[in-house]
Amino acid sequence: MTNHWNDLQHTDCALIIGANPAENHPVSFRWLLKARENGGKILSVDPRFTRTSSQADIYAPLRSGSDISFIGGMINYAIENNLFHKEYVAKYTNASFIVKEGFDFKDGLFSGYDEATRAYDKASWSFETTEDGKPEKDETLQHPRSVFQLMKKHYSRYDVDTVTTVTGTPKEEYMKVAETFCSTGKPGRAGTILYAMGTTQHTVGTQNVRSYAMLQLLLGNIGMPGGGVNALRGESNVQGSTDFGLLFGDLPGYLGAPKELPEHATLAAYLEKETPKTGYWSNKPKFVVSLLKAWYGPNATKENEFCYQYIPKGNKNYSHIALFNAMYKGELQGAFLFGTNPVVGGPNAGKEKEALSNLDWLVAIDLWETETASFWQKEAGSDPSKINTEVFLLPAASSYEKEGTVSNSGRWMQYRWKAIEPKGEAKADMEIIHMLMRRLKGMYKNEGSPAAKAMNALYWNYGEHDHPEFDLVAREINGYYTQTGKQVENFGMLADDGSTCSGNWIYSGFYPEEGNLSKRRDNKDTGMGNFLNWSYAWPMNRRVLYNRASADPSGKPWNKDKAVIWWDAAAKKWTGNDVPDFKAIVAPSDPGGTNPFIMTKDGVGGMFAPTLNDGPFPEHYEPFESPVPNAFSSQEFNPTIKVWDGDFNLKGTKKQFPIVATTYRVSEHWQSGSMTRNQQWLSELAGHMYIEMSEELAKEKGIKNKDKVIVTSARGEVKAYAMVTKRFKPHTINGKIVHQIGMPWHFGYKGYATGDTANRLTPHIGDANTMIPEYKAFLCNVRRAD
Amino acid sequence: MAKAEYVKFVDVTKCDGCRACMVACKNWNDLPAEPEAFQGSVQSHANVTANTWNVLSFIEHENGKGNLEYLFRHSSCFHCSEAACVKVCPEDAMHYTEFGTVDVNADKCVGCGYCVQNCPFDVVQLATYKDKNGKEYKKAQKCTMCVDRLEEGMQPACVTTCHTDAMEFGTKEEMLKKAEKRLGEIKERFPNAMIYNPEGVGGTHTVYVLAEKPSVYGLPEKPKVPTSAVVWKDYAQPIGKMMLGATSMALVGAFVSNKLFNKEGKDHEEDGGGSHE
Repeated sequence: MTNHWNDLQHTDCALIIGANPAENHPVSFRWLLKARENGGKILSVDPRFTRTSSQADIYAPLRSGSDISFIGGMINYAIENNLFHKEYVAKYTNASFIVKEGFDFKDGLFSGYDEATRAYDKASWSFETTEDGKPEKDETLQHPRSVFQLMKKHYSRYDVDTVTTVTGTPKEEYMKVAETFCSTGKPGRAGTILYAMGTTQHTVGTQNVRSYAMLQLLLGNIGMPGGGVNALRGESNVQGSTDFGLLFGDLPGYLGAPKELPEHATLAAYLEKETPKTGYWSNKPKFVVSLLKAWYGPNATKENEFCYQYIPKGNKNYSHIALFNAMYKGELQGAFLFGTNPVVGGPNAGKEKEALSNLDWLVAIDLWETETASFWQKEAGSDPSKINTEVFLLPAASSYEKEGTVSNSGRWMQYRWKAIEPKGEAKADMEIIHMLMRRLKGMYKNEGSPAAKAMNALYWNYGEHDHPEFDLVAREINGYYTQTGKQVENFGMLADDGSTCSGNWIYSGFYPEEGNLSKRRDNKDTGMGNFLNWSYAWPMNRRVLYNRASADPSGKPWNKDKAVIWWDAAAKKWTGNDVPDFKAIVAPSDPGGTNPFIMTKDGVGGMFAPTLNDGPFPEHYEPFESPVPNAFSSQEFNPTIKVWDGDFNLKGTKKQFPIVATTYRVSEHWQSGSMTRNQQWLSELAGHMYIEMSEELAKEKGIKNKDKVIVTSARGEVKAYAMVTKRFKPHTINGKIVHQIGMPWHFGYKGYATGDTANRLTPHIGDANTMIPEYKAFLCNVRRAD
Repeated sequence: MAKAEYVKFVDVTKCDGCRACMVACKNWNDLPAEPEAFQGSVQSHANVTANTWNVLSFIEHENGKGNLEYLFRHSSCFHCSEAACVKVCPEDAMHYTEFGTVDVNADKCVGCGYCVQNCPFDVVQLATYKDKNGKEYKKAQKCTMCVDRLEEGMQPACVTTCHTDAMEFGTKEEMLKKAEKRLGEIKERFPNAMIYNPEGVGGTHTVYVLAEKPSVYGLPEKPKVPTSAVVWKDYAQPIGKMMLGATSMALVGAFVSNKLFNKEGKDHEEDGGGSHE
């Protein structure tokens, strides 16, 4: 989240799209309902009328996979009707930048596309620069090659009629959403966009989010209280794990992982290549060297490139989809699965289950024996005599049985004390890793192989016994001065000469000398519901990111009743109800004083993003499997996604599978259900796998409520109860009826609540930037079971 | 006598259907899970039962304008001021607490089931237990308004857990005032909205603001204490007890209750609890 949960209470309008927070993030509604009591509006855009929709002022349906069309139409609406925040757009975004000649967009393709590699040469997606290297601007936004004019032209194709024939949204409802949300473009008003996996789990997932960011920049909603682009994270600590390098392309703190490339051959070359000259990322070398010092300790010296060479480098795609493809082909020997259950949660789960049997060994670490840990059993539909995988099941401690921190969607890092001792032999994940590492280091101790060198160099100083000391890990994450051992104050103090270490620069500041700030529990409101002395929010305890943008260029809040920070001319510094996400002493009149987006190269928000793989502007493409042709161009699906070959990802045709399907979660179950389906009180609340469908589709197929039905896709089939509901309506897409169904994906055969696994249906294909699987839009068919 | 009357105010228009109240209830009251067959909707249980004291009902309703409303209601005991269950109980097991709510004294309950037959809201049910010899016996069970929490100055578990403040617990006066105020706020969005605090049972200690008419929620429009219950408690039972002694009277009562109490002569068990006077 750019903002945080409590901050939702300040919104004038919440657009909830690709998320169902009433069911999956219920506490959000505590704050959203407060916003509504103050006159705020709630808009719910979803293929299905959900518990969230029940609380919304306006509900607008859309067909799964048509978000960019929906939002593109709103961008067009805001521009055409002059509803955007002009001063904000001109000053705080790159809308005024002039794009070089040669940039072009034709029939769904931006300039630079190479069909053979399905990739773009992004050279033509760049800005004109002045002699000193700064971007050329036209703050009147009139230059025909200004980002604003190019954006206007791009989205002029997204007129209401075209948009609604693609999304299937009734025009009247669409207009209500557009009017209501775009009213936040007025200076002093703020709108927020809440999204979750309904947005990201698409082959255009990244661009879906981009389209939200653009709309929010256009309406001047970023940096505002009650504004922002807010990802509702799907697990209690998914924010934390992402921050700590969960994603395959990242090292902790969103430092790009080095690859096996000539330009990454040395630390100097890597830093030269990956460090922008301007913006806060120009400090990257300090963060990278401090990370290496945390990992390799005294072994990391300037002379040996701080052990940079020991970081594994590879050029492959290490995403979930790619790993399972490799496993399926027998290219992987073994796997550790910590708290993950791909036999239920993975795309094309039936095939992923088969892939597991190609491993020599599998270590499953979980609270219960999951469908994945038991994939080889008869109950899983396997023949144990034919499976040679050796499976180890390690019992894991639950969150109440261990200490640690959890970072919520609002970036608050909250320490949790251990409530009870782990049951039986269960151990915390950190303990398991620690014990494993100590033994591995022991095994490699007297060896001289390259692998042993890397292993021996690793500085593993978390206690000389099997129980790792959490506090030592926490202190290292914050970082300390390597000479004195004193904690660094914050990431501003990190250096690139080896004098500091920090395991994750963005968290540096949470554990200064005075103590672990994630343990703070002062529930006094320090202003605007930011509770600055409760826990710690990265970065630097800032609660609303880009909050410089909540004030006008001269430093006065756009809305004096909802002020976040402002320039105090007498004290010569930024002050207010939040920690400034800005250099506190840089006056509005100073160079860079009106550049709120400190992490970007140019200090402004990116309407035009020349870095993503699939284009600088989001463009609508149909999902990999779609029932209709693309109304916007002849590119059917995202031209830059990797299309995996082989039988792992069979593609269904619309003739065979005419119905759009999507998957989702319910309040009562969590992820693959391994925790919640083993809990009786939750299992009784949501105990049955079901398929939600409209009354119209049910009638067409001769299905009655509660009938058992079979859903088929090109990948597999599932049997479940039919839930015939008024909350699903058929879409009218370009004059034709398109049916959509939906189903929860929590079920498997283990636990108290059992049912068929929805992911046996989902395709093994991912987003062009992140490789997140397209769980949310695929084709299927449905029939009665008997 | 009640110290002061307390009310649980349920504002269904603030409920987002998360069902944390159901889990909180089972947790505090240590009630077993009771998985039911698929209901054809998100709803987990058809009705409250002896081991599931509150059920969130999910209702898809097309309103007067043809717009779809997805309505939720936290349904549990109403804690009537003139409670039929208290009225008919031959053992005084059903009783009013010092908070004005209605509770069952399990030690006194003989499982005769008059309360089950007479509850105008079909809330009270019999739970079956086994004694140490394996012999089955029954006790009436229902929401206690967490009287054990109230006695400690705490709020009911469902109220404490509700994150949208769709439920509040306080003095009757304060809660009714809140209900009136809320009704004014939501009338525009829900023209049929009303306060449900039926007079026929002397008012209740679970008071609702409903978004639609009671019948939309499967609630009786005008519930009242059945006349038969009045006849039984005020006339037949005192005389009977005098003649036969209390325990035997309960047995006689169990026999006659079907004849005397079955509403409109229907079998109460089989009509799904839908018949209301």
